[in-house]
Amino acid sequence: MSWLRVRSIAKRHAYVLRRSPHRLYDITIWPVVDVLLFGSLGVFLSETEGGEAAAYGYLLGGIVLWHVVYQSQIALSTGFLEETWSRNLLNLMVTPLKELEYAAGVALFGLVKLALGVGLVALGALGFFAFDVTDVGVGLIPIAAVLLAVGWAIALFVIALVLRFGSGAEALAWGILFLVMPLSGVFYPVPALPGAVQPIAKLLPTTHAFAAMRSLLDGEGLAWDELGIAAAGVLVLALGATIFLAKMLSLFRTRGYITRYS
Amino acid sequence: MEHVIRATGLTKTFHDTRAVDGVDLTVEAGQRVALLGPNGAGKTTTLFMLLGVIAPDAGHVEIAGLRLPEQRSEAMERVGFAAGYMPLAERLRVREFLDLYGGLYGLADPSERIDVGLERFGIAHLANVMGNELSSGQRTLVGIIKATLHRPRLLVLDEPTASLDPDVAQRVRQGLLDLCEVEGTTLLVTSHNMVEVARLCDRVVFMSAGRIVADGSPAEVADLFGQEDLEDVFLHLAGNARDAARTQETDHA
Repeated sequence: MSWLRVRSIAKRHAYVLRRSPHRLYDITIWPVVDVLLFGSLGVFLSETEGGEAAAYGYLLGGIVLWHVVYQSQIALSTGFLEETWSRNLLNLMVTPLKELEYAAGVALFGLVKLALGVGLVALGALGFFAFDVTDVGVGLIPIAAVLLAVGWAIALFVIALVLRFGSGAEALAWGILFLVMPLSGVFYPVPALPGAVQPIAKLLPTTHAFAAMRSLLDGEGLAWDELGIAAAGVLVLALGATIFLAKMLSLFRTRGYITRYS
Repeated sequence: MEHVIRATGLTKTFHDTRAVDGVDLTVEAGQRVALLGPNGAGKTTTLFMLLGVIAPDAGHVEIAGLRLPEQRSEAMERVGFAAGYMPLAERLRVREFLDLYGGLYGLADPSERIDVGLERFGIAHLANVMGNELSSGQRTLVGIIKATLHRPRLLVLDEPTASLDPDVAQRVRQGLLDLCEVEGTTLLVTSHNMVEVARLCDRVVFMSAGRIVADGSPAEVADLFGQEDLEDVFLHLAGNARDAARTQETDHA
């Protein structure tokens, strides 16, 4: 692995972000909208007669951590899509760049975007609703790490699908998260979901990561069992995503799909 | 003589069309080779297989003794590729674009090589211009500079002068000849401009219907087909390819 090549890719995406203000939407406007929406909902529910004060923490804590998944996934998958939009894939494929170096470079710059996006959500929660996410404790760090890995693994699936199906699959970069979010119990425990989808929810590592977060918010300490299941789940997910991506990349080369972008 | 390219039995079929049919190609260090043929002859598919971008159905490729796809990354450290149809990455200035690719080719500080390239092709004044503000000819020149930053052993160019006016095309040819002479670069180029090929290359390989049908110096190939020059050879082969396609259509009907 060449650090020079990883750095070059990260630098290329830094230029893109700097020169495309509309791409700041994901890390500025969207986090503010989310924190306003879910924070206000939390305040409303907790102040309603019979409402639970916990709903407030669940919603704000949930949206802060959801943005870890969202920002990491979007940064990596749209980083790759940028190469297809600017028809830069062939340029990259004829260099010594390895697939892992490319992903590392985009993910590296993605960490900067993630820090900005999640930082803004956390600041919004503090500024608008006096919810300080750091009060939850250091237990949030391993949970966030699991969610970061989930975001990257989902992005690898999206990239694989774009390689296979072309630009028609681009919508998945955003759309797939709308499928994962409700099933992951980001704001509520799994029993709140309809019975038919609960088995699917339990298979997702995100579900267990958010359960661990709620345990922290409830003052019960870090639920290591939930975190362990989430970590194991993300390993399986990442392995599956990597194998799928390798197969789709091989198909891309075999079928000559590069001609779609050259 | 050292082989920079050694390809054997390259075959590629897309759906029912055999794009490349058992191509054997060996290019020795320092040669300037033109890969010619009418549209659809299989030139670009062959180039893409030599670069590891498309996987062959059968056959093997070695670049500077490195086997594809296993040693693709190491092989590409020794290869530069540019094409008239390749855009520059958007939202980058020319120098930033070249700096980025210098990094990808393993140059910690490519500034000096960037300056040499910009001077060689006469576009030093464009160093700080945004890529999307360049004309197609200027983009082609930047693409060639990108492909030569790392002093590649092999420079592969797919129709590099297709969109250039005669003046810029002449500058490209002169720059390439200078590069080959000064740095000993091996050149593999496709082009539909036979005059350019005769000026630039010492060997021509003609493809038709996915196969190599002639290989030699420009004069030898013209003699082989009993034609005056490469232009006539090209027209002769293109005519044959059209006739073959018509016959196939009639047979199907």
